[in-house]
Amino acid sequence: MDIVIYGMVTSCSLALMALGFTLVYGVSRLPNFAHGALYVLTGYLAWLLLKRVGLPYPVAMILSLVVTGIIGAAMYHFVLARIRGMPISEIIASYAIGLAILEGMRWFGLRGGTFRLPPFVDGATELLGVSVDFQRLIVVGLGVVMVGLLWLFVSKTKLGLALKGMAQDERAAMTLGIDSDTMAVVAMALGSMLAGAAALVLLPLGSIVVEAGYHVLIMAVAVCIVGGLGSWNGAILAAFIIGFAQILTWKYFGAHYQVVVALLAIIVTLIVRPSGLFGRQKELEERV
Amino acid sequence: MFEARQLMLFYENMLALNNVSLQCEADRIVGVFGANSAGKSTLMYTLSGIMEDIQKKEQMAGGERITIRGEIIFQGRDVTHLKPSLRARAGIILCPERRRIFPECTVVENLMIGGYLANSSQTEETLGYVFNLFPALTRISKRLGGFLSGGEQQMLAIGRSLMAQPRLLLLDEPLLGLSPMIQYMLAKSIKEIRNQRGAAIIVAEQYARPIMPIIDYGYILENGAAVVDGTNKELMDNPDVKSAYFGQ
Repeated sequence: MDIVIYGMVTSCSLALMALGFTLVYGVSRLPNFAHGALYVLTGYLAWLLLKRVGLPYPVAMILSLVVTGIIGAAMYHFVLARIRGMPISEIIASYAIGLAILEGMRWFGLRGGTFRLPPFVDGATELLGVSVDFQRLIVVGLGVVMVGLLWLFVSKTKLGLALKGMAQDERAAMTLGIDSDTMAVVAMALGSMLAGAAALVLLPLGSIVVEAGYHVLIMAVAVCIVGGLGSWNGAILAAFIIGFAQILTWKYFGAHYQVVVALLAIIVTLIVRPSGLFGRQKELEERV
Repeated sequence: MFEARQLMLFYENMLALNNVSLQCEADRIVGVFGANSAGKSTLMYTLSGIMEDIQKKEQMAGGERITIRGEIIFQGRDVTHLKPSLRARAGIILCPERRRIFPECTVVENLMIGGYLANSSQTEETLGYVFNLFPALTRISKRLGGFLSGGEQQMLAIGRSLMAQPRLLLLDEPLLGLSPMIQYMLAKSIKEIRNQRGAAIIVAEQYARPIMPIIDYGYILENGAAVVDGTNKELMDNPDVKSAYFGQ
């Protein structure tokens, strides 16, 4: 039973980590390698606002999300827009920005394990004979809510539909008056905020450390590759596969092998099915 | 209302459009006919601004050098170097070759994405109009775009373009790969759109037979140059056009 419950928790946290990355990649074909940095940045900002400035917790969270969104949009507008269409440069530039943010935070004082965000609700409960703390249940709940909200957004609102159109056929979307750069800015802002939202629910489970940025990036990339780059459904399914695989490894082989699972999943996917579970590569085959 | 003057387009040193000039007045249907590789799609991409985007991307990636010369005037405004989204905002909407339906969106979602530039009352009105024009879409409104037949996809593509409230509708090979029956049905719908929506329409097509009767004026493209032009009567009486497009 604990496998099911902790598997759900791990899967939902992986899905939260990967959603922003896959959203940006799906809409603009931009691999945002600063994703992990934005994740840690939101957590650190929230911590600063909460502990140093002394704002109430909800205000600090919302404010840090907004700032991260703006940073994401600015990143596209000032840097990535200029190198759009050159995949290697996009990766290098976004990774460089990510490094700058992460190591900048370390320089600014984010060292050691003393930076902690409080959990939303303290305490733990017993669920089907397994003890789980409330924060982990909130992770599952928020994961479900977030996926639901995102689905509503892209299928009901005008902006969301435009993003979806841009993700499926850029040229067709352009003929309908949807601007590629505007959508990329929106996607970057949204993707960064999703990374931030993931950070705000997940970080109270541990402490805020710079290394989490690299870990989250690897996880997000692993989930997206297994699910098929740019596929939203694929990312969610892949999060569950990797999540449960991790928990099973933890249970039967030991905790150190957990990270190996994600990397192994990348390798296996690339060998067996390079375009991922729901990959778009198949569309390259001419279907007339 | 719409005029392209002396368009020249080069892929590196290869001439793809050679001094093409064409005009289209409001409430007119203009046909552009030509065989494969005559430059029809290149022309449509240039008029709608997609070529501007392709050019930019090629330049970014260090690929093919594309050069565009000439002028495109729409409602008294020079749109030659406007990017596609701004041209669409001005009212030039392209219905692209091979339809390019959003495959993972339902029929209704496809239409709603088409309504990105429209306000909510326009969206509602046009949605009703499209389902009225193509009743076949009503039955399949919840189906994913990728699962539609060619004819259904083409109806959807035209409907989607209409949702963007075009003042000039560019149709790139709307009859490609469709059965003759559907070809004639679509030709009739194109004429209805002109009559009921008051949009100017430019149709690029290689199947002249269904389209020729509905156009007001036509151009024949050959190797990127407009070699013959005239009203549909003049074109149909031209012996070269007759032998090439009507097999007589």
